Amino acid sequence: MKILPLLLYAVSAVAYAIHFARRDPAAGRAATASLLVAALAHTFVIGMQTMEVRHIPFASLPNVVSTFVWLLTLSYLYLEISTEERAMGVFILPIAIGLQTISALTPGVEKVDPVLDSPWFWIHVASLLCAYASFALAAVLGLIYMLQFKEIKKKHLGYLYNRLPSLLTLDVMNSRAMTIGWVFLTVGVAVGIVWTAQARPLSPDDPNLRAMSLDDPKIFFAVLTWAVYSFALFARTRLGWTGRRAAWLATVGFLIVLLNFLPIGYFVTTSHTFQ
Amino acid sequence: MHVFLLGVSHQTAPIDVREQLDFSSRDVGAAVEALAARYSAGEAVVLSTCNRSEIYVASDDPARARQELIDFLGSYHGLPPQAFEAHVFEHTDEDATRHLFRVAAGLDSLVVGEPQILGQVKDAFQVAATRQCVGPVLTRLFHTSFGVGKRVRSETALGEGAISVGFAAVALARKIFGRLDGRRVLVVGAGEISTLTAQHLRAQGVGEIAITSRTAAHAEALAVDVDGRAIPWSDLRVALATADIVITATGSPRPILTRADVEAVTSRRRGEQLFIIDIAVPRDVDASVGEMEQVFLYNVDDLQAIVQENLSRRSSEIVHAETIVGEEVERFAAWRRSRGAVPTVVALRQRFEQIRRAELQRLEHKLGGLTPEARASVDEVTRLIVEKLLLAPTSQLKALPDEETQIAYTEAVNRLFELRDEAAVSPASDEVDAEPPNRTRS
Repeated sequence: MKILPLLLYAVSAVAYAIHFARRDPAAGRAATASLLVAALAHTFVIGMQTMEVRHIPFASLPNVVSTFVWLLTLSYLYLEISTEERAMGVFILPIAIGLQTISALTPGVEKVDPVLDSPWFWIHVASLLCAYASFALAAVLGLIYMLQFKEIKKKHLGYLYNRLPSLLTLDVMNSRAMTIGWVFLTVGVAVGIVWTAQARPLSPDDPNLRAMSLDDPKIFFAVLTWAVYSFALFARTRLGWTGRRAAWLATVGFLIVLLNFLPIGYFVTTSHTFQ
Repeated sequence: MHVFLLGVSHQTAPIDVREQLDFSSRDVGAAVEALAARYSAGEAVVLSTCNRSEIYVASDDPARARQELIDFLGSYHGLPPQAFEAHVFEHTDEDATRHLFRVAAGLDSLVVGEPQILGQVKDAFQVAATRQCVGPVLTRLFHTSFGVGKRVRSETALGEGAISVGFAAVALARKIFGRLDGRRVLVVGAGEISTLTAQHLRAQGVGEIAITSRTAAHAEALAVDVDGRAIPWSDLRVALATADIVITATGSPRPILTRADVEAVTSRRRGEQLFIIDIAVPRDVDASVGEMEQVFLYNVDDLQAIVQENLSRRSSEIVHAETIVGEEVERFAAWRRSRGAVPTVVALRQRFEQIRRAELQRLEHKLGGLTPEARASVDEVTRLIVEKLLLAPTSQLKALPDEETQIAYTEAVNRLFELRDEAAVSPASDEVDAEPPNRTRS
């Protein structure tokens, strides 16, 4: 089931690459259209899964990854349509394809631990996923910012210079994505803390709940992520850390997110393993 | 029918001759009407810009058209032909087609690839079209030229990249700040390039332009030119704190902005980017300023290098653009040749129709007893036979590859079907040309 959106994302990536190389408006429209189709197909797949298991497929990591890709695509489409800038597609889609491939290769079982059957859980996961999707966008924007910055600073106005958006546009979009991401992250982490505190007395023997502490890598990295993005926002408004510094922070922040999301989520953590 | 072109352009005539032959400052429409009235074909388009005055006509006799056009130019502008004849260029058929396509593509422009010319070609055609001064040949020719202009624009990079220092600076500013509206500009020292650059920026909708110069009068004068505000020289560092774009162009032998000057205002700028365009030689801004995180410093050599690169990129695209022009010239030529067969095709049709009618007439006494329906069927069947017989010869005649072959075939067809008389009395008819040969008239 996850193969269909994956294939459509691949088609879309090719279209974005052609648009990026040739800067042909028709190719650009085709790219957007193909991504819309891919997003629709992905929505359909997730909708089917939701009907099947009677909740949004959040309870196994591969499904969470797939849902994340879906959110990333939707937020990117929003960004693209609202700014008329298509140059980021060629950077975003490889991330979407990479993650969707991981998700498609590792079938997840959607079985919700009774301990998770709480509205808090859904808010927790949903807001964290939205946060990560925003951070992914911010990181890509930051990366593009650094590329464009280098072109202009080094006075080498080449292939990328002509194709990438202006520095200020990138910086503004980056700031917006980070702020939105930070809000979701804060909500997600706060809900997680409150909910753990509530759940602990109810099922004192649950190994997952017992592992919920800063010693757990997943929780530690989540807090670290929050610290990094909080600092980025503080530095932007108070210290004038815009532009390249903000771009660096966005990239570093998302690397931590990715690290937490995949290797730690798959292998290391002792909490958050609810099957 | 031939396409004939006569005119002057920046490549053949000096400015004073071009001025004398200019149509654009007067009523082009009236000129086109006067022209079309003089030519048997009645097709004429006048393309007149500051770099060229060109007249396109469709004519059966290019030699006569040439003489008439020279006479027309002379009488219309009140000049003796000797005054301009030496500067006039002329092209016929494929050469004229190629010329127009190159013009529309921007290949013949003073600044290769400039985009305005395509709009001017469209306007020129429009003026002639609204006065019914164009027929099928020039309509097709000009519509094809619009397509050529579009193709060259979308398939090549001929028109890309700034090719003047001022525009290169504006393009850079746009890559740094995105939209420029509301951006604050500081011009330090007045000079030609700084004035031009400030004007380009003004056209992009920047906010305030502050101008300062050691000689206050110079600043005042420039402020009027670019709708800016002159500020005293002593306020230079104050203005620096709020500026987004700084243009320096003083004659100072020593840098007027050092790293310390810019660093002093950094904290007040709160990480805002600063784009400094140093046009002065010797340089006005210390090179180390460009090493600062938030500063983009470009001097006149950097901008010249960009311009040079864009120019060479444009010229490398010329070959590609010429190929497109060549393809379209060939396509148009094939269409024009197919029209050369029209008189013969018409004559052939008339011949066949004549025979058909004569035969029906001859058999009138035998057909008299038929019902009206049956008579209609006989009429229809004979008509269809004639159409079918003509189908292959018509398409073959229209598809002949060159003029010589066409003349030979026409001659042969004329002789085989004894068409001479009909061909002489029936000039090219557009109705017949417009009608597909295989259409039945039921």
